[in-house]
Amino acid sequence: MKRLAIAVGLSALIGFAFAAEKVHVTFWHAFGGGRTAFIQRAVEDFNYTHPGIEVKVEYKGSYRDTLNAAILAAKQGNAPHIVQIFEVGSQLAIDSGIFVPIQDYVPAGLEFQLDDYIKPVANYYRIGGKFNSIPWNSSNPILYYNKDIFKKAGLDPNNPPKTYGEVVKACEKIIASKAAPKCITWPLHSWFVEQWVAEQGALLANNENGRAARATDVYINSEAMKRIMKWWKGLYDKGFYAYTGKPEDWDGANQLFVSQQAAMEITSTSDVTFMQNASFENGFELGTGFLPVPDGVERNGTVVGGASLWLTKGHPQKEQEAALTFLLWFTNTENMVRWHKGTGYFPVLNTSVKVLEWQNWFERNPAYRAAFDQLLQSKANRATQGALIGPFPEIRTIIENMVQQIFQGKDIAKALAEADAKADKALKNYNASVKK
Amino acid sequence: MDTHAAYKSRWLPWVLLLPSFVVLLLFLYYPTFETFWLSLFRVAFLGLSKTFVGLENYKELFTNPDYLQIFKNTVIFAFFVVIFSMATGLALSVLANQKVSGWRIYRLLLIWPYALSPAVAGVIFLFMFNPQSGIVNYLLTISLGIAPDWLTNPKLAMALLVFVAVWKNVGYNVVFYIAGLQNLPGEVLEAALIDGATPWQRFWRVTFPLLSPMTFFLLIINTIYAFFEAFPFVDLLTKGGPSNATNILIFNIYRDGFEYYKTGMAAAQSVILFIAVVFLTIMQFRFGEGRVHYGG
Repeated sequence: MKRLAIAVGLSALIGFAFAAEKVHVTFWHAFGGGRTAFIQRAVEDFNYTHPGIEVKVEYKGSYRDTLNAAILAAKQGNAPHIVQIFEVGSQLAIDSGIFVPIQDYVPAGLEFQLDDYIKPVANYYRIGGKFNSIPWNSSNPILYYNKDIFKKAGLDPNNPPKTYGEVVKACEKIIASKAAPKCITWPLHSWFVEQWVAEQGALLANNENGRAARATDVYINSEAMKRIMKWWKGLYDKGFYAYTGKPEDWDGANQLFVSQQAAMEITSTSDVTFMQNASFENGFELGTGFLPVPDGVERNGTVVGGASLWLTKGHPQKEQEAALTFLLWFTNTENMVRWHKGTGYFPVLNTSVKVLEWQNWFERNPAYRAAFDQLLQSKANRATQGALIGPFPEIRTIIENMVQQIFQGKDIAKALAEADAKADKALKNYNASVKK
Repeated sequence: MDTHAAYKSRWLPWVLLLPSFVVLLLFLYYPTFETFWLSLFRVAFLGLSKTFVGLENYKELFTNPDYLQIFKNTVIFAFFVVIFSMATGLALSVLANQKVSGWRIYRLLLIWPYALSPAVAGVIFLFMFNPQSGIVNYLLTISLGIAPDWLTNPKLAMALLVFVAVWKNVGYNVVFYIAGLQNLPGEVLEAALIDGATPWQRFWRVTFPLLSPMTFFLLIINTIYAFFEAFPFVDLLTKGGPSNATNILIFNIYRDGFEYYKTGMAAAQSVILFIAVVFLTIMQFRFGEGRVHYGG
């Protein structure tokens, strides 16, 4: 009896020792719906192949909710190890001081993975010369168009408009021929404005887009901005441009395009998979093209949008190492290929692109090709690197409000000047609250 | 002379009150105090960095035209929501209080909107009022040949928001008004009928004054509703747009606090909202109570 008790006790102890050896890592992200399941499955794979580590993954709501939750948890000394943060939150994440610059912690044997990122992505996420986070989901805006409506309007279905002027011309034909009630849609979101600024090689903030030093001046009152607004207002006034009226309404814009109310939509490449399915279900042929740019301006390229994965401070070394092991596995070549095929987000590693090319993936799925070519053809400079601005979320609202004021008839020059002043003030207040 | 005859010890009542005090202190007084205190700071990253700025946040609130516009929007929104939801509630209750066939169904249907979650209501209205593919504009196009841009025009957007908020709360008012109507003393109405009063007179001279306690109660509840509970509609339908035209205080507090990380500014706006609602409630008690007729 005694022996049995000892045996039970011992085995319990051993079991406990084994259980204790498992390092627990938490990972918070902002992907709902089908993507939650996708991520969950990848994490299960990891846990199965790495018996010493147990990763727990949690969906925390929107990008903003996730960042908020992480900051609050860090304040209480209870931060998750890995947090997904949207690209415009990068400066804010650095300033919050709750994360470690990831490049300093990557183990010696695995540094090659950081050199494997495709250039535009590396350019965005390398801040002050090093990766502060691991790039994950990356996207761009492209033009989606309905080939059937193009044919009906007498337009070449294999030649989508490439410039602002060509969009207007196509719209005139589409509306005049009544091929569709509206010509073009995209969500009323500052993201597109930022992209068009970059396409013109212009900057959004001083100190080289906040990359050389902290930005202190936002450039809203610029020639580049004027060109965008003039064109957009023209489209709106002529009834070519449609949107639901609600700012940042991604689903609303998709609905307009998919239900064939609009012939074209500009939106994220991360919707390629969705668009392909939706066009099939709604019985029209889908085309994709580059983001149209202002006439007479050399196409400079787009800024990488999306999010990256950050590692929080203050965990025991063992946990930090385990978290890094997971991060590098989760974004390795095979997983990036899987991620791209499952969602439409870019395969951000050169090696994963090679794998896809070897599989003839782009030939079989031309819609992905346009998205990817646009990214690869972007020139590497400060404009396409994207701006680093602390209060970016607030500045986005300022820009979106400005666009709506212009629609309602406010003079463009005046609206730009006012928004510029507001953005500068928001930036000044933010910078004053950052303690270094 | 023992005034605490019911209790053996004079401490016992305090001990019994303690749980309530603890709850109030923790969940009501402490957060309120903390909000007042925070409103004097410039706060970044949800409290990771704080600088004392005195009344700077309030100065900003009362000088920045954007904030002044938000105050204006809030007053307009609250005024129309309270007026319309109470008036519609009363009118519908009077109709539903009649003994017509199927009255049970009418009453049930009138209460339905209230039972719906605000988030669901918001999404449904967003679909219905979508300018290109919504059912409302579809019907308007085939019947009248017009298709208004509901959410792009500042006035229409505000009107739509008021409409949704009213629609959502009418059921609540109907429940209380029907209860009030059922409890009216029949003799008074009968006497009025015998004296030859017209239905119009009977309503305004007898029914309405007799309902005044209910009206007074609903006035306070509806005011609080209009100020505090419209958040989901704004968030789902307009996000404060077009260009701040429908941005009301409760939405902006959330936005400043959790989207822009300006916790100090959000706290200052909470204080203003708090003071406004307390002030309105006190005014209603002072000036409303005298006109309320409680006798039955």
